[in-house]
Amino acid sequence: MGRIRGKLFILKCQYLRKNIKIDEGLTIKKKLLITGKGRVSIGKNCVIDGIKGDASQYVSINTYSRDASISIGDNAHLCAARISSRFCISIGSSVLIEESGIVDTDFHSIERDRGRPQDESLEKCKVVIGDRVAIGSRSFVMKGVHIGDDAKIFPGSIVTTSVKAGALVLGNPARVLRES
Amino acid sequence: MKNQLRKALAEPLSAALLVGALIKGLIYVIYYRLFTKNVRVNFPFKAFGSVSIRGPGSVYIDKNCSVHENVFRGLNIVTLSEEALVRIGKNSMLGGLSIRCWGQVMIGEGTMTALSLIQDVIYVSCVNDGGPSVANKLVYSKPIIIGDNVWLGGNSIILSGSRIGHDSVLSAGATCFNAEFDKYRLISGNPATRGLPIDQLLKLKART
Repeated sequence: MGRIRGKLFILKCQYLRKNIKIDEGLTIKKKLLITGKGRVSIGKNCVIDGIKGDASQYVSINTYSRDASISIGDNAHLCAARISSRFCISIGSSVLIEESGIVDTDFHSIERDRGRPQDESLEKCKVVIGDRVAIGSRSFVMKGVHIGDDAKIFPGSIVTTSVKAGALVLGNPARVLRES
Repeated sequence: MKNQLRKALAEPLSAALLVGALIKGLIYVIYYRLFTKNVRVNFPFKAFGSVSIRGPGSVYIDKNCSVHENVFRGLNIVTLSEEALVRIGKNSMLGGLSIRCWGQVMIGEGTMTALSLIQDVIYVSCVNDGGPSVANKLVYSKPIIIGDNVWLGGNSIILSGSRIGHDSVLSAGATCFNAEFDKYRLISGNPATRGLPIDQLLKLKART
Protein backbone atom coordinates (compact mmCIF):
# COMPACT_ATOMS: atom_id res chain seq x y z
CA MET A 1 0.00 0.00 0.00
CA GLY A 2 2.76 2.42 0.95
CA ARG A 3 4.71 1.46 -2.19
CA ILE A 4 1.73 2.31 -4.40
CA ARG A 5 1.25 5.67 -2.72
CA GLY A 6 4.96 6.36 -3.17
CA LYS A 7 4.83 5.54 -6.89
CA LEU A 8 1.81 7.79 -7.35
CA PHE A 9 3.61 10.61 -5.56
CA ILE A 10 6.69 10.18 -7.79
CA LEU A 11 4.49 10.28 -10.92
CA LYS A 12 2.75 13.42 -9.67
CA CYS A 13 6.11 15.12 -9.07
CA GLN A 14 7.43 14.17 -12.53
CA TYR A 15 4.64 15.93 -14.37
CA LEU A 16 3.40 18.69 -12.10
CA ARG A 17 6.28 19.76 -9.88
CA LYS A 18 9.60 19.84 -11.72
CA ASN A 19 11.56 21.11 -8.70
CA ILE A 20 11.14 17.85 -6.79
CA LYS A 21 13.35 14.88 -7.66
CA ILE A 22 12.61 11.54 -6.03
CA ASP A 23 14.43 8.28 -6.82
CA GLU A 24 12.62 4.97 -6.99
CA GLY A 25 11.46 2.91 -4.02
CA LEU A 26 9.73 5.60 -1.97
CA THR A 27 7.33 4.26 0.65
CA ILE A 28 4.68 6.57 2.06
CA LYS A 29 2.88 5.12 5.07
CA LYS A 30 1.46 8.44 6.29
CA LYS A 31 1.13 11.90 4.74
CA LEU A 32 3.98 13.72 2.95
CA LEU A 33 3.71 17.49 2.45
CA ILE A 34 6.16 19.37 0.22
CA THR A 35 5.69 23.11 -0.23
CA GLY A 36 7.71 25.93 -1.77
CA LYS A 37 9.61 26.47 -5.01
CA GLY A 38 13.13 25.44 -3.99
CA ARG A 39 14.84 22.25 -5.09
CA VAL A 40 14.06 19.07 -3.14
CA SER A 41 15.78 15.76 -3.84
CA ILE A 42 15.14 12.48 -2.04
CA GLY A 43 17.25 9.33 -2.55
CA LYS A 44 16.41 5.69 -3.08
CA ASN A 45 14.29 3.50 -0.80
CA CYS A 46 13.23 6.22 1.64
CA VAL A 47 10.42 5.61 4.11
CA ILE A 48 7.91 8.30 5.14
CA ASP A 49 6.17 7.32 8.35
CA GLY A 50 4.30 8.75 11.32
CA ILE A 51 5.41 8.33 14.88
CA LYS A 52 3.67 5.81 17.09
CA GLY A 53 1.41 7.19 19.74
CA ASP A 54 1.18 10.84 18.83
CA ALA A 55 -1.10 13.18 16.98
CA SER A 56 1.37 14.63 14.50
CA GLN A 57 1.41 12.04 11.77
CA TYR A 58 2.92 13.70 8.71
CA VAL A 59 6.31 14.67 7.30
CA SER A 60 6.54 18.25 6.06
CA ILE A 61 9.33 19.58 3.85
CA ASN A 62 9.23 23.33 3.19
CA THR A 63 11.44 25.63 1.13
CA TYR A 64 11.12 29.38 1.50
CA SER A 65 12.91 30.70 -1.60
CA ARG A 66 13.84 29.65 -5.14
CA ASP A 67 17.50 29.20 -4.22
CA ALA A 68 16.77 26.94 -1.28
CA SER A 69 17.69 23.29 -1.55
CA ILE A 70 16.99 20.23 0.55
CA SER A 71 18.69 16.95 -0.27
CA ILE A 72 18.08 13.66 1.54
CA GLY A 73 20.22 10.56 0.92
CA ASP A 74 19.34 6.92 0.34
CA ASN A 75 17.52 4.66 2.83
CA ALA A 76 16.41 7.56 5.00
CA HIS A 77 13.66 6.92 7.53
CA LEU A 78 11.61 10.04 8.30
CA CYS A 79 9.02 9.74 11.07
CA ALA A 80 6.94 12.91 11.45
CA ALA A 81 9.98 15.10 10.72
CA ARG A 82 9.65 18.80 9.87
CA ILE A 83 12.37 20.17 7.59
CA SER A 84 12.27 23.81 6.47
CA SER A 85 14.98 25.64 4.60
CA ARG A 86 15.80 29.07 3.18
CA PHE A 87 19.40 28.27 2.15
CA CYS A 88 20.60 24.67 2.11
CA ILE A 89 20.03 21.52 4.14
CA SER A 90 21.83 18.33 3.17
CA ILE A 91 21.10 15.07 4.95
CA GLY A 92 23.20 11.91 4.46
CA SER A 93 22.14 8.37 3.76
CA SER A 94 20.44 5.88 6.11
CA VAL A 95 19.47 8.45 8.73
CA LEU A 96 16.61 8.16 11.21
CA ILE A 97 14.68 11.33 12.07
CA GLU A 98 11.82 11.12 14.55
CA GLU A 99 9.30 13.93 15.18
CA SER A 100 11.85 16.73 15.26
CA GLY A 101 12.54 19.97 13.44
CA ILE A 102 15.46 20.92 11.25
CA VAL A 103 15.67 24.61 10.39
CA ASP A 104 18.38 26.77 8.79
CA THR A 105 17.00 30.28 9.29
CA ASP A 106 15.50 32.36 12.07
CA PHE A 107 12.54 33.28 9.78
CA HIS A 108 12.19 36.74 11.40
CA SER A 109 14.56 39.46 12.56
CA ILE A 110 14.45 41.03 16.01
CA GLU A 111 13.51 44.41 14.51
CA ARG A 112 10.09 45.89 15.20
CA ASP A 113 8.67 44.96 11.79
CA ARG A 114 9.78 41.31 12.13
CA GLY A 115 11.07 41.26 8.56
CA ARG A 116 13.72 39.02 7.02
CA PRO A 117 16.90 38.69 9.06
CA GLN A 118 19.74 40.63 7.37
CA ASP A 119 22.94 38.90 8.49
CA GLU A 120 22.18 35.45 7.17
CA SER A 121 24.14 33.87 4.35
CA LEU A 122 24.60 30.45 2.80
CA GLU A 123 27.98 29.81 4.47
CA LYS A 124 26.74 30.79 7.91
CA CYS A 125 23.44 28.98 7.91
CA LYS A 126 24.03 25.78 5.98
CA VAL A 127 22.99 22.63 7.85
CA VAL A 128 24.88 19.42 7.11
CA ILE A 129 23.87 16.10 8.64
CA GLY A 130 26.12 13.10 8.05
CA ASP A 131 25.45 9.45 7.33
CA ARG A 132 23.85 7.05 9.83
CA VAL A 133 22.77 9.85 12.18
CA ALA A 134 19.74 9.25 14.42
CA ILE A 135 17.72 12.16 15.83
CA GLY A 136 15.25 11.49 18.63
CA SER A 137 11.75 12.82 19.09
CA ARG A 138 10.94 16.42 20.15
CA SER A 139 14.48 17.60 19.41
CA PHE A 140 15.51 20.54 17.26
CA VAL A 141 18.47 21.27 14.97
CA MET A 142 19.26 24.98 14.53
CA LYS A 143 21.00 26.91 11.74
CA GLY A 144 24.70 26.54 10.98
CA VAL A 145 25.08 23.11 12.58
CA HIS A 146 27.23 20.30 11.20
CA ILE A 147 26.48 16.86 12.61
CA GLY A 148 29.15 14.24 11.95
CA ASP A 149 28.68 10.66 10.84
CA ASP A 150 27.25 8.10 13.32
CA ALA A 151 26.24 10.80 15.82
CA LYS A 152 23.20 10.07 18.00
CA ILE A 153 20.95 12.85 19.24
CA PHE A 154 18.75 11.94 22.19
CA PRO A 155 15.08 12.95 22.54
CA GLY A 156 14.34 16.47 23.73
CA SER A 157 17.72 17.98 22.87
CA ILE A 158 18.22 21.30 21.09
CA VAL A 159 21.36 21.31 18.94
CA THR A 160 22.88 24.79 18.57
CA THR A 161 26.57 23.98 17.99
CA SER A 162 28.28 21.47 15.74
CA VAL A 163 28.52 17.84 16.84
CA LYS A 164 31.53 15.62 16.19
CA ALA A 165 31.29 12.24 14.52
CA GLY A 166 30.17 9.37 16.75
CA ALA A 167 29.07 11.48 19.73
CA LEU A 168 26.01 11.00 21.93
CA VAL A 169 24.29 14.32 22.60
CA LEU A 170 21.60 15.39 25.10
CA GLY A 171 20.21 18.60 26.58
CA ASN A 172 19.44 22.25 25.93
CA PRO A 173 21.92 23.46 24.62
CA ALA A 174 23.05 20.02 23.54
CA ARG A 175 26.05 18.70 25.44
CA VAL A 176 28.12 15.63 24.70
CA LEU A 177 27.36 12.61 26.90
CA ARG A 178 29.92 10.28 25.43
CA GLU A 179 32.47 10.59 22.65
CA SER A 180 33.59 7.60 20.69
CA MET B 1 -23.78 13.55 48.29
CA LYS B 2 -25.93 16.56 49.21
CA ASN B 3 -23.01 18.91 48.58
CA GLN B 4 -22.40 17.37 45.19
CA LEU B 5 -26.04 17.80 44.24
CA ARG B 6 -25.95 21.43 45.35
CA LYS B 7 -22.82 21.97 43.24
CA ALA B 8 -24.47 20.39 40.21
CA LEU B 9 -27.50 22.64 40.58
CA ALA B 10 -25.31 25.72 40.89
CA GLU B 11 -23.27 24.90 37.77
CA PRO B 12 -25.40 22.82 35.42
CA LEU B 13 -23.04 23.08 32.44
CA SER B 14 -20.02 21.57 34.19
CA ALA B 15 -22.23 18.87 35.67
CA ALA B 16 -23.47 18.00 32.18
CA LEU B 17 -19.87 17.88 30.91
CA LEU B 18 -18.94 15.56 33.77
CA VAL B 19 -21.83 13.23 33.00
CA GLY B 20 -20.83 13.20 29.32
CA ALA B 21 -17.23 12.39 30.24
CA LEU B 22 -18.39 9.55 32.51
CA ILE B 23 -20.52 8.07 29.71
CA LYS B 24 -17.66 8.38 27.22
CA GLY B 25 -15.33 6.76 29.74
CA LEU B 26 -17.78 3.91 30.29
CA ILE B 27 -17.78 3.27 26.54
CA TYR B 28 -13.95 3.10 26.58
CA VAL B 29 -14.02 0.75 29.60
CA ILE B 30 -16.48 -1.63 27.92
CA TYR B 31 -14.58 -1.47 24.62
CA TYR B 32 -11.25 -2.41 26.18
CA ARG B 33 -12.89 -5.17 28.32
CA LEU B 34 -14.59 -6.79 25.33
CA PHE B 35 -12.10 -6.46 22.51
CA THR B 36 -8.66 -6.58 24.14
CA LYS B 37 -7.16 -8.99 26.63
CA ASN B 38 -4.12 -7.00 27.71
CA VAL B 39 -5.71 -3.62 28.46
CA ARG B 40 -7.67 -3.10 31.67
CA VAL B 41 -9.31 0.26 32.43
CA ASN B 42 -11.32 0.54 35.63
CA PHE B 43 -14.60 2.36 36.16
CA PRO B 44 -15.13 5.30 36.95
CA PHE B 45 -13.03 6.71 34.10
CA LYS B 46 -13.67 10.29 32.99
CA ALA B 47 -12.75 10.83 29.34
CA PHE B 48 -12.90 14.56 28.55
CA GLY B 49 -10.49 13.92 25.66
CA SER B 50 -9.64 11.13 23.28
CA VAL B 51 -7.97 7.92 24.45
CA SER B 52 -5.94 5.54 22.31
CA ILE B 53 -4.14 2.49 23.64
CA ARG B 54 -2.30 0.28 21.15
CA GLY B 55 0.30 -2.44 21.03
CA PRO B 56 0.78 -5.98 22.34
CA GLY B 57 1.90 -5.16 25.91
CA SER B 58 -0.29 -4.93 29.01
CA VAL B 59 -1.78 -1.67 30.27
CA TYR B 60 -3.53 -1.20 33.61
CA ILE B 61 -5.30 2.03 34.55
CA ASP B 62 -6.71 2.19 38.08
CA LYS B 63 -10.07 3.65 39.04
CA ASN B 64 -11.13 7.30 39.07
CA CYS B 65 -8.63 8.52 36.46
CA SER B 66 -9.51 11.35 34.10
CA VAL B 67 -8.23 12.32 30.66
CA HIS B 68 -8.20 15.94 29.48
CA GLU B 69 -7.50 17.40 26.07
CA ASN B 70 -4.25 19.39 25.82
CA VAL B 71 -3.24 20.92 22.46
CA PHE B 72 -5.66 18.53 20.71
CA ARG B 73 -4.02 15.48 22.28
CA GLY B 74 -5.60 13.18 24.79
CA LEU B 75 -4.02 10.08 26.27
CA ASN B 76 -1.83 8.07 23.89
CA ILE B 77 -0.25 4.83 25.04
CA VAL B 78 1.80 2.62 22.73
CA THR B 79 3.41 -0.59 23.92
CA LEU B 80 6.19 -1.81 21.68
CA SER B 81 6.80 -5.35 22.96
CA GLU B 82 4.84 -8.15 24.59
CA GLU B 83 6.66 -7.82 27.93
CA ALA B 84 5.78 -4.14 28.17
CA LEU B 85 3.88 -3.07 31.29
CA VAL B 86 2.24 0.31 31.86
CA ARG B 87 0.56 0.92 35.21
CA ILE B 88 -1.21 4.15 36.16
CA GLY B 89 -2.42 4.67 39.73
CA LYS B 90 -5.82 5.88 40.87
CA ASN B 91 -7.08 9.49 40.97
CA SER B 92 -4.57 10.64 38.33
CA MET B 93 -5.36 13.42 35.86
CA LEU B 94 -3.82 12.75 32.46
CA GLY B 95 -3.89 15.62 29.99
CA GLY B 96 -2.06 15.16 26.71
CA LEU B 97 0.23 12.45 28.06
CA SER B 98 1.86 10.12 25.57
CA ILE B 99 3.67 6.98 26.67
CA ARG B 100 5.87 4.81 24.47
CA CYS B 101 6.85 1.76 26.44
CA TRP B 102 9.12 -1.18 25.70
CA GLY B 103 9.94 -2.34 29.23
CA GLN B 104 8.19 -1.00 32.30
CA VAL B 105 6.50 2.30 33.15
CA MET B 106 4.97 2.69 36.64
CA ILE B 107 3.07 5.85 37.54
CA GLY B 108 1.80 6.39 41.09
CA GLU B 109 -1.49 7.67 42.47
CA GLY B 110 -2.75 11.19 42.00
CA THR B 111 -0.37 12.16 39.22
CA MET B 112 -1.09 15.33 37.26
CA THR B 113 0.34 15.67 33.78
CA ALA B 114 0.37 18.27 31.05
CA LEU B 115 1.57 17.71 27.47
CA SER B 116 4.45 15.43 28.42
CA LEU B 117 6.20 12.42 26.98
CA ILE B 118 7.27 9.27 28.78
CA GLN B 119 9.47 7.08 26.64
CA ASP B 120 11.78 4.31 27.81
CA VAL B 121 13.56 3.69 24.53
CA ILE B 122 15.67 6.25 22.71
CA TYR B 123 14.34 5.70 19.21
CA VAL B 124 10.85 4.31 18.77
CA SER B 125 10.87 3.27 15.17
CA CYS B 126 14.01 1.13 15.39
CA VAL B 127 12.58 -1.15 18.06
CA ASN B 128 10.23 -3.04 15.82
CA ASP B 129 11.42 -4.20 12.45
CA GLY B 130 11.31 -1.84 9.51
CA GLY B 131 13.61 0.76 11.00
CA PRO B 132 17.09 1.32 9.67
CA SER B 133 19.92 -0.78 11.05
CA VAL B 134 21.76 2.29 12.38
CA ALA B 135 20.10 2.74 15.67
CA ASN B 136 19.37 -0.86 16.53
CA LYS B 137 22.20 -0.97 19.04
CA LEU B 138 20.77 1.90 21.03
CA VAL B 139 17.72 0.23 22.52
CA TYR B 140 18.24 1.52 26.02
CA SER B 141 15.46 0.30 28.22
CA LYS B 142 15.47 0.68 31.99
CA PRO B 143 12.22 0.89 33.97
CA ILE B 144 10.68 4.31 34.66
CA ILE B 145 9.18 4.68 38.14
CA ILE B 146 7.19 7.78 39.10
CA GLY B 147 5.92 8.17 42.67
CA ASP B 148 2.60 9.38 44.06
CA ASN B 149 1.22 12.92 43.69
CA VAL B 150 3.80 13.97 41.09
CA TRP B 151 3.07 16.95 38.87
CA LEU B 152 4.58 16.80 35.38
CA GLY B 153 4.79 20.20 33.66
CA GLY B 154 4.22 20.99 30.02
CA ASN B 155 6.62 19.67 27.38
CA SER B 156 8.54 17.63 29.92
CA ILE B 157 10.22 14.45 28.76
CA ILE B 158 11.03 11.42 30.91
CA LEU B 159 13.50 9.00 29.37
CA SER B 160 14.66 5.56 30.40
CA GLY B 161 16.18 4.88 33.79
CA SER B 162 14.67 7.84 35.64
CA ARG B 163 13.06 7.47 39.07
CA ILE B 164 11.05 10.33 40.53
CA GLY B 165 10.08 10.33 44.21
CA HIS B 166 6.76 11.14 45.88
CA ASP B 167 5.26 14.65 45.81
CA SER B 168 7.79 16.03 43.33
CA VAL B 169 7.21 18.69 40.68
CA LEU B 170 8.74 18.43 37.22
CA SER B 171 8.94 21.93 35.77
CA ALA B 172 8.06 22.84 32.19
CA GLY B 173 10.52 21.65 29.58
CA ALA B 174 12.51 19.44 31.94
CA THR B 175 14.13 16.30 30.60
CA CYS B 176 15.14 13.42 32.87
CA PHE B 177 17.51 10.78 31.59
CA ASN B 178 18.99 8.02 33.72
CA ALA B 179 18.73 9.94 37.01
CA GLU B 180 17.20 9.36 40.44
CA PHE B 181 15.41 12.00 42.48
CA ASP B 182 14.31 11.93 46.12
CA LYS B 183 10.84 12.79 47.29
CA TYR B 184 9.53 16.37 47.57
CA ARG B 185 11.84 17.94 44.96
CA LEU B 186 11.50 20.57 42.25
CA ILE B 187 13.15 19.12 39.15
CA SER B 188 14.08 21.40 36.27
CA GLY B 189 16.54 21.75 33.43
CA ASN B 190 17.45 19.89 30.31
CA PRO B 191 19.06 17.50 31.24
CA ALA B 192 17.84 17.61 34.85
CA THR B 193 20.72 16.77 37.17
CA ARG B 194 19.55 17.25 40.75
CA GLY B 195 16.28 18.36 42.29
CA LEU B 196 15.88 21.30 44.67
CA PRO B 197 14.04 20.49 47.91
CA ILE B 198 10.70 22.32 47.89
CA ASP B 199 10.54 23.04 51.63
CA GLN B 200 13.79 25.03 51.43
CA LEU B 201 12.38 27.03 48.53
CA LEU B 202 9.27 27.80 50.57
CA LYS B 203 11.44 29.00 53.48
CA LEU B 204 13.36 31.31 51.11
CA LYS B 205 10.09 32.72 49.81
CA ALA B 206 8.85 33.38 53.33
CA ARG B 207 12.05 35.29 54.20
CA THR B 208 11.85 37.78 51.32
